Amino acid sequence: MAKGNMERAASGETFVFRRPTIGVLTPVAALGAAFIILLTASPLLNLFVAALAAGSRGLSSLLSGSVPTLLAKTLLLATLATLWALLLGVPPAWILTRTDLPGRRLFRVLGLLPLAIPPYIGALTYITLLGPVGPVNKAYQAMGGSGQLVNIYGLWGGVLVLGLFTYPYILLLAGSALESSNPAMEEAARAAGHGPMGIFVRVTLPLLRPSLLAGSLLVFLYALSDFAAVSFLRVTTFTTEIYHQLNTRFDQRGAAALSAVLVLLTLLVLVAQRKSLGRRSFVQRRSGAKPPTVYPLGRWKVPALICTYLVLGGSVFLPIALLLYQAGSAATIFQTLASGHRYLWNSLWTAAVAATVATVLALFVAYLIDRRKGPVGLLLTAATQLGYAIPGTVLGLSLILLYNTYVPWIYGTAAMVVLGYLLRYLPQAVQGSAAALSQVDPNLEEAARGLGRSGWQALREVTIPLIRPGMTAGWMLVFISSIKELAATLLLRPAGFDTLPVRIWIATIEVDFAVAASTSLILIVTTALPLFLIKRLDSGISQLD
Amino acid sequence: MADRGTIGTTVILLILGWASAIMLAPTTPASASELVIYSGRKESAIKPVVDLFERKAGVKVVLKIGKTSGLANEILQERQRPRADIFIATEAGVCEVLAREGALDSYAPARARSIPSEYKSSKGFWTGISGRARVILYNTGLVKDEEVPSSVLDLADPKWNGKIAIAGTLERTTLSWLGALVHVLGEAKAKAYIDGLLRNGLKILPDNSDVWRGVGSGEFALGLTNSPNYHLALKAGLPVGVVYPDQGPSGMGSLVNPNAVAIVKGARHLVLARRFVDFILSQEAQAILVRHAFEIPLVSGMDAGEVRPLSSFKSLKISQERLADLEERAIRLFPGF
Repeated sequence: MAKGNMERAASGETFVFRRPTIGVLTPVAALGAAFIILLTASPLLNLFVAALAAGSRGLSSLLSGSVPTLLAKTLLLATLATLWALLLGVPPAWILTRTDLPGRRLFRVLGLLPLAIPPYIGALTYITLLGPVGPVNKAYQAMGGSGQLVNIYGLWGGVLVLGLFTYPYILLLAGSALESSNPAMEEAARAAGHGPMGIFVRVTLPLLRPSLLAGSLLVFLYALSDFAAVSFLRVTTFTTEIYHQLNTRFDQRGAAALSAVLVLLTLLVLVAQRKSLGRRSFVQRRSGAKPPTVYPLGRWKVPALICTYLVLGGSVFLPIALLLYQAGSAATIFQTLASGHRYLWNSLWTAAVAATVATVLALFVAYLIDRRKGPVGLLLTAATQLGYAIPGTVLGLSLILLYNTYVPWIYGTAAMVVLGYLLRYLPQAVQGSAAALSQVDPNLEEAARGLGRSGWQALREVTIPLIRPGMTAGWMLVFISSIKELAATLLLRPAGFDTLPVRIWIATIEVDFAVAASTSLILIVTTALPLFLIKRLDSGISQLD
Repeated sequence: MADRGTIGTTVILLILGWASAIMLAPTTPASASELVIYSGRKESAIKPVVDLFERKAGVKVVLKIGKTSGLANEILQERQRPRADIFIATEAGVCEVLAREGALDSYAPARARSIPSEYKSSKGFWTGISGRARVILYNTGLVKDEEVPSSVLDLADPKWNGKIAIAGTLERTTLSWLGALVHVLGEAKAKAYIDGLLRNGLKILPDNSDVWRGVGSGEFALGLTNSPNYHLALKAGLPVGVVYPDQGPSGMGSLVNPNAVAIVKGARHLVLARRFVDFILSQEAQAILVRHAFEIPLVSGMDAGEVRPLSSFKSLKISQERLADLEERAIRLFPGF
C-alpha cells in the first residue's frame, strides 16, 4: 500500500513554508468544479431541503425525546471505538516499522486484512463466540459460574468490534508516517540523552499527529455512520434511530432531519481536524535515503510477537477460522463461487470503476483546493467530505429521488451502484490526494513549465509521479470500502443486479449460514488480493527511487 | 498560471470516465415485456413462484429481493416515475401505508373472494397471499409443558422475569401486534400491560430471527414471534414448542399477519401485473408458497400441510385499516426501536 505520503507532510523532514498560489479560475476548471459540486452536493442539498420540509414537527422530534441522549451515546461509542482502534493500531505500527521483529513485513500486510472483513461479519463472529450461549459463556457456566462471564451486546461489544475492524486505518497511516520520517530528529533526541520511550513520546508521537488524526477521523466517522454491525450488537445509535424513522414510520423527512444532524456533526469534526493541524501548509523535501532507526527488540521479542499475534488473532484469524468452519467444506465454497461468479464480477467492476472515478475526481478536487484558495476550494472541500456521514440508506433514498426524477436514463442501471459508492467514499480519495499534493512544491511544476513543458505534461511528468502513492492509497481505500458496501447498494441496485454483500445479506435472511460464510470468504479474498498486489507493487516502486 | 490545458484534460478525463462507467453498465432497463417485482419475501420462497409464472406466461420477470420496508421506501421515492409493477410485502400494514400515500393501484382478483376480509384491502389496494400467526415459542428444555402460558397476558408473571424475547417495532409484525393490543384492551390497559412486560425484563431484539434462535439456543425461555419461526426452529433441530395464545372462550385470539401482493400505481405492465396477482393466488403458486415457508393459506381449499390452518384456531379479527389508524399509538408503546 502507499507509502504514506498522505502524512509525510508533517511527519517529514525539512519544512519549507510555502506561499499559497492564488489563481483565477479558468472556465474549464470552473466547469469541472461545478460538475463535481453538482454531483456531490445535490444529495446533501436534497437532504437539507427534506429536513427543512419536516418543519416544526421535525424540529420538535429532534429536540425532544430520546434524540439528545442518543446523540451522546453515539458520540461515546464513536470516541471509545476510536481510542480502542488507536490502542490496537499504534503499538503494532511502531513495532512493525521500528524494530527487528521477525516476519514484520508479512505482519504489515496481514495487519491490513481486517479492512477486507466487513464489520458486520466481525460482529457476527463475536456474537457467535461471546454471545449468551457462545462457547465462552457456556464454558464459564460449565465451570460453575452463574450468569454470563461476558456480555457482547451493548456499548462495549460495539466498541470492541468497531475498533477491531477499523484499526488498520491507523496502522496504515501511522505505519507509513513512521517509515518515512526522518531519523535525524530522533538521533538528536538520543544525543540529548532520551531513551527509546522518551524519544517516542517527545519526538515520534508529535510527528505522527497528522496521520493519527487522519486515521482517527476515518474510524470515528465510520463508527458514526455504521448501521449493520451496531444493530447486530444491539446498540442503539443515531443511525439506528434514523433507520427506525424510515422503516417503521416511513418518515423520510424525519430521517432527513436526523441525518442533517450527522452531517453537521461531521462538519464540526472536520473543522476540528483542520484547526488541530494548524493553518500552515508544508512542503516536504525528501532528504537522503537514510532509513529510520531500527531498534533491536532483545528480550522484548516474545512479548512483542505475542502482542502482534493477539491483535491479528482477534481481527483476522478468528473471524476467518469461524467462517471456514461455518462454510463446512471447500466444496461449498467452490460451489458458491461457481454459481455466484457473476456477483463476484458485479462487485469487482463496480468497486473498481468507483475507485478509479473517485481517484480522478479526487486529483482534480485536491488540485483545485491546493492551488486555488478561495470559496470554490472551500465549497469543494465541504461537498466532497460531508457525504461520508450520511447513512447509506438515507443517501440511497435521496439518490433514487434525484436520479429517477432528473436523469431517469441513469436510474435503473448499475451506474447507480457506482454512484452510491462514489458519493459515500470520495472523501477517502480526496484526503489521500490532498495530503499527498500538499507536500509537492508547486515550484517544481513551474520549473517544468519554465523548461517548456505544457501544463498537462508538467502534471503528468512531475506532480503525478510524486503523489502516486497517495493516489494509490486513496484508490485502495475507496475500492475496499465500496466492495463491502451494503446499505446503499440494497436500494440502488437495478432489479436482478446483486453484489457479494447483497448475497451475504440474502443468505443470512435465508438462514443459510454455509452460503453466507462461503460468500463472505470469497468477498474477503477478493478484497485482500489487490491489497497484496498493491503492497508488492508499491514496495517495488519505492525500491526504484 | 496557464494550466488551462491541465485542468481541461482532467475535466475531459473525468467526464469520459463517468460516461464509460454508465455505458459499461451491463444491465438493460426493463423492456416492454418484462414484469418488475419488488419482493420483501425471501428469495427461496418467491423465486420458484416467479420461475413458474415465467414459464406459464412466457414472459421475463425481473426480481428485486430486499427488505419490505426498504422496498416500500423505494416505491415512495419512485412515485414520479414508477419502476416496479408488483410489490410483495411480508406485512400488509406496509401496503396500507403505501395505499394511503397513493402509491398503489387497486385490483380485486376473483380468487381473492374466499379470503376473509381482514386479509385483503377493502378498496382492493392489496391482497393477502398467506398468513403468519402471532404465537408464543418456548424452549422445551427450559419450560415444562404444563408451565407453558396460554395467554400473552400471563407473561408479566415474575416467574418469566428476564426470560422473554420479542423483536422490536422494526419488525412490522410486532408493530401490528401492539396495534391489536391497543384495539382489544384500549390504550391505557395496553400501555399498562406492555410496561408490566418491560418491568419484567422483556428483551427487545432487532428481528424475529434473533427471537427464534435465542429461544432455540436457550438464551430465552419464551419468545413472542410468528408461527413460521416455530417450524424453522424445528427444521434447524432446536428444542422448541409452540402455543397459539388466548384461545379460550373469552380470549382475544391470535393475530394473523398477512403477507400481501399489490400492484404499484402507474405500473408499466398493468395487464401482466394483474395476471401475476391472479397467478400468485392460484392453487399451484399457493402450494409452493405455503409448503416452502410454513405459511398459513388464506384462500379456501388449500392444504395447509404441517401448518395449522386458519380454521383450526381462534384468530384476532381486526382490519389493516384499523391497525394503520392505531399505528402511531402502537409505536409509542415501545421504547427504543
